[in-house]
Amino acid sequence: MRWIWIDKFVEFESGRRAVSVKNVTMAEEHLHDNIPGFPMMPECLMIEGMAQTGGILVGEARRFQEKVVLAKVSKAVFFDYVVPGDSLRIEARLESITPEAATTSGRITRADQLIAEIDLMFSHVDQNLAGKKFPKDNFVFTGLFTSLLRDIALNHVRPEPQKMESGG
Amino acid sequence: MKFILIDKIVSLEEGKTLTAAKCVSLAEEYLGDHFPTFPVLPGVLLLQGLVESASWLVRKTEGFVHSMILLQEAKNVKYKSFLAPGSRIEYAVQAKTLEENVSSFAGCGIADGEKILEARFGLRHFNLADRGSAMAAVDAQVIEAMKNRYSLLTQQG
Amino acid sequence: MTMSRDEIFQKVQEVLVDALGVDDDEVTADATLMGDLGAESIDFLDIVFRLEKAFGMKVPREELFPVEGLLNNADLVSNGKLTDKGLAELRTRVPHTDLSEFEKNPDINKLADLFTVNAIVTYVATRLNAA
Repeated sequence: MRWIWIDKFVEFESGRRAVSVKNVTMAEEHLHDNIPGFPMMPECLMIEGMAQTGGILVGEARRFQEKVVLAKVSKAVFFDYVVPGDSLRIEARLESITPEAATTSGRITRADQLIAEIDLMFSHVDQNLAGKKFPKDNFVFTGLFTSLLRDIALNHVRPEPQKMESGG
Repeated sequence: MKFILIDKIVSLEEGKTLTAAKCVSLAEEYLGDHFPTFPVLPGVLLLQGLVESASWLVRKTEGFVHSMILLQEAKNVKYKSFLAPGSRIEYAVQAKTLEENVSSFAGCGIADGEKILEARFGLRHFNLADRGSAMAAVDAQVIEAMKNRYSLLTQQG
Repeated sequence: MTMSRDEIFQKVQEVLVDALGVDDDEVTADATLMGDLGAESIDFLDIVFRLEKAFGMKVPREELFPVEGLLNNADLVSNGKLTDKGLAELRTRVPHTDLSEFEKNPDINKLADLFTVNAIVTYVATRLNAA
């Protein structure tokens, strides 16, 4: 299992908000094992999807100079479970940011249905956990995140055009 | 890949508490991404360890009557330190309320005497058949699989 | 903005319930943030963020939690107790807190007990009245 719980960004407003999409598919092996016999997405991985969306929003606000790690799940409430075939829209808003830490609030929706509300707190580890040993490089924003970050860097991510009202 | 975030149930007192253990190994694939030069168990999987611990306490206490035991709410999950490969964490969960369809818990994870995380959270318990009797067979299947998994987690040795 | 002390208390209570994941009835006026409500370093920052939002004002962390910065200062602490200089410094930092009991035995472990829900309410009330 790789560790990436969002597929792409669809909206990104630096320092304010970000929206990503996570598609849930039967091909994801772990879905078959959380509740054996009934494939569904574990709730904790939805929290991680929010943490990655919010974490990149927080990181980008400081030009990826900080090592942004999840420090606290202030609140996570779930209203329905998620199964293969679902497409989740994960929206994170930056609430506060200081040299030491940042907070985000967020919602996960499926079509128009609210699936979860998740508020998180992130720590900039170099500022906060003095005395612990960390690699010198920014170990957080590497590898898999690169392609997501490239989208943002190239400014490919713009607010979605308003959808047309459909008659049926 | 398997999605089981505890290795063993260490002790259980029905309706009250459960402790479980998990060892962290560099062989776990996702540690290669989280993070390449600083492998540590992702925080949400630490939470999952607590959630699984609590769900076994519910299943055992209520005699495996529900197939679905899911996280409904987590509050103030605080991460105090990192858990690196080679460590063993012990999760302790304590039931604050345990009713037919909902339960609430306080839990923490400790490795080498150091607190790694603490959390308050609530679960909901139900059967898929509650939404339509056609699902009763799936419930039965899930419950059977969970009983097998429980015996795997509690066998000595 | 005019708010009664009760109104302020209710908002502070909401902030603490959200920031610390505790229940309403745990957040009494006398409850200590660290001892009774389990707050620690990262929570103090969270509380500051939420108070700023709830009351629409900037809340400097060292102003709300003035004791945090005292504890690591060798000038102000000796043998686990605040020195006279430390006490003087503390008095200037927490003008709204009654220190008479603490001064009898200024053990720094007891400093945590000064952080009560009431102390936050008093701080907010003072700030609102000054505005």
